[in-house]
This record gives sequence, structure tokens and C-alpha cells, in this order.
Amino acid sequence: MGKLFEKFPDPLARLIVVVVAMIALGAFAYFVLIPKPVKDIDFQWADAVKREKARPVRYAGFQACEECHGEIQIKKVTGYHKDLSCETCHGPAKAHTEDPDKVKPTIPTARTFCPQCHAYNPSRPRGFPQINPVAHNPLKPCTSCHNPHDPKPPTTPKECSACHGEIARMKAVSHHVQLECTVCHQAPQQHKISPRSVKPTKPQTREFCGKCHGKDATDKLAKNAPKIDMGVHGEKYVCWQCHYPHSPEVEQ
Amino acid sequence: MNPELIRSLQELLPQIQGYIYPNEIEIHWGLLIVVYPYITGVVAGAFILASLVKVFNVKEVQPLYRLSLLTALAYLLVAPMALVSHLGHPERFYEILLTPQTSSAMAMFGFVYAWYLMAVLLLEIWFVHRTDMIDMAERSKGATRLLYRALSLFSRDKGERAVAFDHKALKVITIVGIPSAFLLHGYVGFIFGSIKANPWWSSVLIPIVFLFSAIVSGIALVVLLYMIITPLTGGKINMKCVDKSVDFLFYAVIVDFSLEMVDFIHRVYQSEEEIKILSEMVMSKLFSSLIIIQVLLGMLIPLLLISLTKIFKKRFSLNEDMRKMVYFISVILIQFGIFATRWNVVIGGQLFSKSFRGLTTYKMGFGGIEGLLYAIFLLALPIAILFVLLKLLPPWKELREEGEVGTEAAGAGV
Repeated sequence: MGKLFEKFPDPLARLIVVVVAMIALGAFAYFVLIPKPVKDIDFQWADAVKREKARPVRYAGFQACEECHGEIQIKKVTGYHKDLSCETCHGPAKAHTEDPDKVKPTIPTARTFCPQCHAYNPSRPRGFPQINPVAHNPLKPCTSCHNPHDPKPPTTPKECSACHGEIARMKAVSHHVQLECTVCHQAPQQHKISPRSVKPTKPQTREFCGKCHGKDATDKLAKNAPKIDMGVHGEKYVCWQCHYPHSPEVEQ
Repeated sequence: MNPELIRSLQELLPQIQGYIYPNEIEIHWGLLIVVYPYITGVVAGAFILASLVKVFNVKEVQPLYRLSLLTALAYLLVAPMALVSHLGHPERFYEILLTPQTSSAMAMFGFVYAWYLMAVLLLEIWFVHRTDMIDMAERSKGATRLLYRALSLFSRDKGERAVAFDHKALKVITIVGIPSAFLLHGYVGFIFGSIKANPWWSSVLIPIVFLFSAIVSGIALVVLLYMIITPLTGGKINMKCVDKSVDFLFYAVIVDFSLEMVDFIHRVYQSEEEIKILSEMVMSKLFSSLIIIQVLLGMLIPLLLISLTKIFKKRFSLNEDMRKMVYFISVILIQFGIFATRWNVVIGGQLFSKSFRGLTTYKMGFGGIEGLLYAIFLLALPIAILFVLLKLLPPWKELREEGEVGTEAAGAGV
């Protein structure tokens, strides 16, 4: 010790002693004092694993369903619901696979079930099939028109919605639901043949929206439309800079 | 679900605008996470001020050297308390030490912190005060003597070789210390800047903006403490020192302000999909804390006040009291401004929905471990620690005499 102090400057020698002592103390605490299980992450996880393992298994997985219900599976894999597991709608089915006659999985028929995914919600992706459950065929069960294993619209989309399905579905839940596309757009026949070179018209002026939404609007469609004073509302902007015409929302 | 949680969420629901996801209603990083970058910022800034003296040889600032080191230490000791308390079980802090985690960016704070505390700040303070502690041990008796002996690691060597080594070591530590101080606070900025899902945080500029706001807050705080402590202990404020530090403060505020403006202009010009919700948030929920407190009170007014003292140099150089008042008001405003900066980063980043279509509200508690009272306690605690440190390692001699010597030396030739 004495020699060390002579060799190095006094402060350095003392710091070396302190640092070595701290490292030794830390190593002693880590390797000797702390019992291994405390440092062992597997040990810490063991409890959690045990707890999770003790839970009953309730789901069977879609492969188990396929074994008996192959015909439904064949239908489902080509439809829009191909990414949904059977048990997403029918509930846990492990008990059913063990005793198929006694335990039956649920078949959701209530009109509240499908809207969990398909009710209109603006944060859902555009074009995702969404409906307003209050206005969409009231009281009719969803399955009377749609087959959940291969969901398709009951009628083939035609006219504009055949190509512009996203806009059609959005408009269907908006305030403009009653308006035909042709109220605002004129599509020449040629548009159906070469859609990119011949385009339908789009409204160009503020006055177009004003026909229904101006405060003196006389158009028969305008009876219940929100009215504004075109002279002061929105100043120099055209209407669709703030309002998306296929889903016009009005900020309070 | 916990009925208390449901009740508190129900209070928040009417305050939500637009559409947000259910897990975004409640803000999880609350007031304590605002306090944490504020405190580490002060640490880094105070250390940079100290290194102005040692590395860059700014002799005028010599009186603030020890004070800024002790301030950095006092705040550094409190910094992890905010984090550990936020995790909910501060009594289990030792588990972090038992099971070190090396792959998580958040857990890295432990290593950055330990390095900065043990290898930089404590070492530097020890070398600065070693001979003083030996002197004090010689002068005092009983328990105090033993305390100083222990603090100086029972060193008694005041010989030339030992003192020369002190100076050499100090130089090395300060040079290592500057990148370390940048690392400490740059790390805090990195944690926010690297969250790519959050457009309010995700910016490469954030660590640099954090660094400069840290320098601003640290210098401003040490100047404020100096201007309060010196008259209280019967000393006279050394205006040359204050003038010089405020000079550095002024430049740091300008750089900080420009960086924030660059970030702002960049966002507005890029005009990515999030710009609408962010501008709505800035104009509604963050209007008072960002536009009024951070930009106007915390930056523009102090900049204007300090520039006035520079523009009307003659008038102000004659009137020291006037200058003192202007500086005093400026550094206080800057403290509020920087605290608001931290608030706007931490709380602002959680106020808007990831759907970019809605805003939530932050409801601050009063009591409890996440509440206002505890945050005030954490902000006051460093002052109490600093009080003890100043008693233990008094910098009075330097605060008064050395400053005079320093300014003479500076006047002579630097």
C-alpha cells in the first residue's frame, strides 16, 4: 500500500483504491450476496409461465374446424373474410371439438354483431364496407342478405359504384346519401370505355354548392340542407377545400 | 375495470375532440416525465458553464465555477427520482441494479447516468475541493473533522506533485465531461426523437434542440442562484462575471430559438399528413404553454431585454442596478420558458391521436406520486441538496475574491 502511494500522486492512488474497492464490493455483492434466482430471468418468468399454463385452453384453432367443416372452409378462403378465424365470430370452440354433439358454438345472429366491425366510423379505412346500422335495412338480420362465410353485396355494383366502390360506400353513410352521382358529375358514355382519357365533370365554382347550401337556395333538393351566407362564409376558398363532398362533415 | 379509473376517464371524455383510440384517452407520461428532462437539462447546462472556465479559459466566469458544479450535482442526484417514481414503485429501484438490461434504449439511462455521476461530476468536484477539504479537516474537530477526512479519502498531501496532478486531472475530466454532458441530455432528446410513430417527437433535431435548451436553462439557473445567494450571504455581485455569463446565455438562446424555428419551418413546409392535427393542437391545447410561455415569455422577451442592454450599452453600463434587474427578470423568464418547452414536448406528444383526427386532454393530479405536489417537491429538492452542499463545500471564497482576481487577469490580457 505504502509503495503504491509513493509511485502514484497521492490523489490518484487514493482514487485507485476507492475504484478497486467499489468494483470488488460490487462484484462481491453481485456474485456472492445476491442469490442466483434473483438474477435469473428464467426464474422470474417461471411464475408467469406457470400462471398462464394453468389457464384452461378454450380455443381450438381454425385447423380443428376444417377437419369437419371443410366445405365452409373452401368457401371462406376465397371470400373477403378469409383472414378471420372461425372462432372470431363463433366464439371459443375447444369444448365443441371434444364433444361435438353436446356443446355447440354460438352462431351470432343479432344485428348488433356485424356492426362491431362494419358500423360507420370515420377512423376506419376509406373503402372498408361500412353501414349506418340504424338506416341500413332496419330489423333485418344481416345474414338474410349477406353470407358471412363469403360476404358480398347482395346486388352486383353497377353504374358508378362498380368502379368507385370506395366513394359509393362513403357516400352511403354521409348526408349526401340521397344525391345521385349525376347531380354533381356528368359522365359521358365514353368514360366507361376509356375512363382515363374521358373524365366526368366536376363542379368548378362555389355557386354550384350554393344552389343547395346558399341561404336563398330554391332547389327542391335543398329543403333540409344546411344553409350559409355565400357572401361571408369561407371567403376566397372553394367549398371542397374544407368539406369533402362525398362525406360532408360540418364542424360545430 | 377499476371503478376509480372509469370515473377518472369519464371526467376526461367530454374534453376529447374528434376521434381518438381508446388507449389514447389517458396520458401516461405525466408531470414527472416533464420534470425529468428539465432537471437533466439543468445538470448538462450547469456543467457546460463550469467547463467554460476550465476548458475555454473564460476567466470572467470563474466565480461561478464551483457553484455550477455543485448545482449540477444537486440536480443530478434528483434526476433519477422523477423516473423511478414515475414507474410507480420507487422502493423497488434496486431491482434495476440487480438485473441490468443492455438492449433497451430506456434502460441505457442507468449507464449514462452512472458514468456521468461517478466518472465525471463526483470526480471533478472531488479534485476541485480536495485541498480545501484537507484544510477544513485540519481546522475542524470531532465528527466534522472525521467527515472531511472521509470526504477527502483521508488524503493529507498538499504537496506540489499532488496539486499539479489535481490540475491535470481536472483538465482531463472536464474535456471528457463535455461530451458526457452532451451524452446525458442528448440521450434524453434521443429517447423522444427516436419514437418514429410520433410525428411531434420523431425528429433528428430533437437531441440538438434539447442540448441547446439545456445549456440555456443551466446557465440561466446558475446565474439566478448566484444573483440570489451572493447578496444573501453578504457579498457583492460581480457584474463582469454576470455580464459575461449572460452573453453566453444570450448566444445560447439565439441558437436554441433558431433551431426551434428551423424545426418549425421544416414541419410547416414539409406539410406531412400530421400537420393539420399538430397545428390544431398548437393553436388550442398548447397555445398558452407554447406560444405564450415558451416562445414569447421564455425566449422573445428575454432576448429583447438582453439586447436592450447591448443596444443601449452606454446607458446600461452606468446603471448596474438596472442591468441587474433586466438580467434577473430574463433568467427567471427563461426558466419558465424551458420548463414549458419540456412540457410541450412531453405532454404535447401525447395530446393528439395517432389517427391524426382527435385531441385528448391532460388531467394533472394534485396529490399522489404523479401529482403536482410531488413534482414541486422534486423541483425544490435540488435546492435543499444544494444548500447542504454549499454548507459542506463552501464556494464563498471563489464567489467573491477569485472573481475579482479573475476579472483583473481578464482585463490584463485575455
